[in-house]
Amino acid sequence: MAVETRHRGAVGQSVTKVDGPSLVAGKPVFTLDHDVPGALVGKILPSPHAHAAIVSIDTAEAEAVPGVRAILHHGNVPRVPYTTAGQGWPEPSPYDTVLFDRKVRFVGDRVAAVAAETEEAAEEALRKIRVEYKVLPAVLSPEEALADGAPVIHDEPDAEGIYDAKHNIVAAVDIPVGDVASALAEAHVTAEATCEIPYSQHAAIEPHGVIAYFDEAGRLVLRTSTQVPFHVRRIVARVVGLDPARIRVIKPRIGGGFGSKQEILLEPVAALLALRTGRPVRMAYSREEVFIASRTRHPMRVAVKLGAGKDGVLQAIDMEVLSNTGAYGAHALTVLSNVGSKTLPLYNKAPHLRFRGKAVYTNLPVAGAYRGYGATQGYFALEVAMDRLAEALGMDPIELRKRNHIRVGETSPIFEKIGEGREGTAQVVRSCALADCLRIGAERIGWKENRGRRREDGPWVHGLGMACAMQGSGITGVDMAAATLVMQDDGSFRLLVGATDLGTGSDTILAQIAAQELGVPVDRVLVYSSDTDFTPFDTGAYASSTTYVSGNAVLRAAQSVHRQILDVAAAALGERPEVLELAEGAVASRKTGRRLTLGEIGHRATYVVDQRQIAATASFTCPESPPPFAAFFCEVAVDRETGVVRVERFVVAADCGVAIHPKAAEGQLEGAILQGIGHALCEEMLFAPSGRCVNAGFFDYKLPSSLDTPRIEAILVPSEEPTGPWGAKSISEIGINGPLPAISNAIYDAVGVRLTRAPFTPERVLLALRAAGK
Amino acid sequence: MSGVHARGVRRFHFARDVEEALSLLAAYEGRGALLAGGVDLLRSLRVDIEGLIDITRIGLSYTKEARGGLAIGGTTTLTSILESRAAREYGGGILADLLHRVAVPPLRNMATLGGALVSAHPWADIPTALVALGAEVRWQGEKEGRVPVEELYQGPFRGLFRQAVAIEVLLPPWDGAFAYEKVGRTGYDIALLNACCGVGVEGGRIAWARVAVGARPDRGERLPWAEEALIGQRPSQTLWQEVQDLVAKRIEVGDDRRASGAWRREVAGVLVERALARASGRAGM
Repeated sequence: MAVETRHRGAVGQSVTKVDGPSLVAGKPVFTLDHDVPGALVGKILPSPHAHAAIVSIDTAEAEAVPGVRAILHHGNVPRVPYTTAGQGWPEPSPYDTVLFDRKVRFVGDRVAAVAAETEEAAEEALRKIRVEYKVLPAVLSPEEALADGAPVIHDEPDAEGIYDAKHNIVAAVDIPVGDVASALAEAHVTAEATCEIPYSQHAAIEPHGVIAYFDEAGRLVLRTSTQVPFHVRRIVARVVGLDPARIRVIKPRIGGGFGSKQEILLEPVAALLALRTGRPVRMAYSREEVFIASRTRHPMRVAVKLGAGKDGVLQAIDMEVLSNTGAYGAHALTVLSNVGSKTLPLYNKAPHLRFRGKAVYTNLPVAGAYRGYGATQGYFALEVAMDRLAEALGMDPIELRKRNHIRVGETSPIFEKIGEGREGTAQVVRSCALADCLRIGAERIGWKENRGRRREDGPWVHGLGMACAMQGSGITGVDMAAATLVMQDDGSFRLLVGATDLGTGSDTILAQIAAQELGVPVDRVLVYSSDTDFTPFDTGAYASSTTYVSGNAVLRAAQSVHRQILDVAAAALGERPEVLELAEGAVASRKTGRRLTLGEIGHRATYVVDQRQIAATASFTCPESPPPFAAFFCEVAVDRETGVVRVERFVVAADCGVAIHPKAAEGQLEGAILQGIGHALCEEMLFAPSGRCVNAGFFDYKLPSSLDTPRIEAILVPSEEPTGPWGAKSISEIGINGPLPAISNAIYDAVGVRLTRAPFTPERVLLALRAAGK
Repeated sequence: MSGVHARGVRRFHFARDVEEALSLLAAYEGRGALLAGGVDLLRSLRVDIEGLIDITRIGLSYTKEARGGLAIGGTTTLTSILESRAAREYGGGILADLLHRVAVPPLRNMATLGGALVSAHPWADIPTALVALGAEVRWQGEKEGRVPVEELYQGPFRGLFRQAVAIEVLLPPWDGAFAYEKVGRTGYDIALLNACCGVGVEGGRIAWARVAVGARPDRGERLPWAEEALIGQRPSQTLWQEVQDLVAKRIEVGDDRRASGAWRREVAGVLVERALARASGRAGM
């Protein structure tokens, strides 16, 4: 449901997506849709062991396979410690990875890479690489990682930025505010929850893929499916040992990422293979490789303790995290930090806070960025604990949230204490419609009428649950985005942005932001994005940043172009710019009524008088990260006899400020809710005792399908963020924070058992029912 | 994965009749494979296949009434069974009940009944139902034969269908009705557990009963002792619950990565009870 905004023009309209027609027509827009003539196929040899030293590699037989052009392994590539995490500089993830190491740390780790004329030759060569391993004892859980005498996963001397490598601790945080222990001891009532999330997959429809080739000037072009083209360029240059000026990164249309493509995985391998062979090289992960060798969500155990007064006002929140980063520490510290930084400010009434946690290495697949980025894990525990607290107080869970949530003009010490791998930035909340979200969502689901009723329908018992969440809009002090806006001689515009549309619709939204300022329809703004040769810098599509950070850069560029247009028009009309108004494709004088079309202005500036290019480049850094807010409500039905849980209905009411493109914003919410339902009910990567993932594919790793999709009602509740472009905040991640706790709380409402280990499979639910004697 | 293994394939044949399919198959000396829907072939781990022999044009795609029951050709897709008028009434509507819960429409458009029978995955839906329904399969290889599916599954049947075509599945007539129950992780999942049960009544008492449970995690098998407990009794909710308890007590189940034996034990009883209750409802008891 779109809520009308006060704005007229492009903003607030669900215009046709700028890439919609080409997608509908099946045009070749994706990375691997384009062939580069003469391209070799690159393939990676994965480790069969969870933990092993490579004693020797013999490639003689593999090199003899006809069509094999290059083989890379630790013996013939530069050893440059780096992180695969595509983050801004300075990089907060440890440099604990090298392209090919003398040791493998998980089943699927990179042992060698081959480039060959055909896929068959590449595969044959992989089979013929003789590797002698010395198998080492493996660490397959975070508890084992921390145990005394545990095998050390990162014992290489050249790694940098690991918190305590000897004890497998990649990152640790401990942030106390006030005195939590005393406040909990003195609280009128306390509640706690310890919740666990397993390994899970982003499951973007397009796997990771890249083509590396040399242009006519001999520069290396990487056409790649990435969320972070500028970080790809910086990191590949360093790892491969090339001058960054010799690298161009192009991001074509992306078939989804959800964080899994905020990672530099295939690009340096393809680049090196291209350099070694002088030939174009294309590489793509199979779905199995995406599961095993790309990235996953950080499995976590989060324990929350709450203390509150009789009135329900929180006195203390204690949150403790154990995060499993897998074999490498990509995003380990920052995801860990976000568990606290994106959750604790929501309930800013509590004066005593403690946030502590560890992220540890294991010999399992590597976790990374995944929509929600730690907040999802944090909210699961926090919101289940809040449900328990409401019960202990005999208070409605909505009322409990109302008494504790942050409001306009308020702040939280956490904003300043926890940032992305370092201290954050103090900020005041300037827009918050959470109270409206709670009211509207509760009305829509029929909270008063239906909660606590335990309506039965044969073996099915129905229940209602809710949760709240916030997120951020970009990373303060780190993110920077730039935009270049050029007016053409015909009065249309070219918008060049580093921002990376990965299927979210940001190309369209950024065009709308410019079109609104320029008083033109969206189709007068041609968007070209994410090409490191042609577009200005942008940190990339992550941390819910694009609409807010990139959008602000676009708005500033548009404001500058707007002023230049008025200057040209003023000279042409012989009037002062102050009396001129730009609207509906023309500049008109309020004084004389005389007008000039944008076409006339473009023509004049280009060819006629005082010739110049009307254009501007503007950038925006992120001084604060305004949180979007959401209230989640769901109805579930639980089969008491089998343990099957069905989500019957899901209502999410979200405040993303002014929705630039309401349909796209609703789509973000709907997609995130469904992904969250997958977390809650069915998604889990499973491992054999050897550390091998046994369900690396969609046959046995189940995503909810259309058959499993309940009625999802996404309600955009407007506020106006004064620092946002046209009042906008982010919307892309927040939706995934609600389903886990809301569904767990709804199961409790239905059948009186708490599910704290995701996913809530029939087996876990039935076991919980029987353990409770039900 | 599938793409890798398919690459050994050098020839693709459209057989014109069963005999040609068989002679082509024989000529490949074990390195050929019959192709109908291709669903399981794509998932197959066989790396040795050089020739694919398409058998979808040899006249084995049909669903028709036969001696009060049904005869379904080996290459009939699940979708076309679902669409057939003959299948609609059979066994109280069991085929619609069953097939709507197998995979998703695009796969049902490809997957064939013969393929499901021959692949006989332990987690599959169709074998459980075929066993419960007392289906027979008519096959043709060097020899021709006809064998109850239940009996087939008790022997080393996989070798047979490396050299023979599953011509036709025969579903016998039942004076009564069946129902199918399943638990999966999603609406399109394989079964964590499934059950197919049928009952018929004469003079107020159960004249025959069929109870099969599959994905235990082993393939669907009948539970004769559960059937015996039903026969001669008056149908009632109490009876179904007695059988539920009996199944939970006696069924042989095991653990796999998808579910534990303990869960399967309890839920097997539930699924049998539900299938019996629905089947008896359909049979108009």
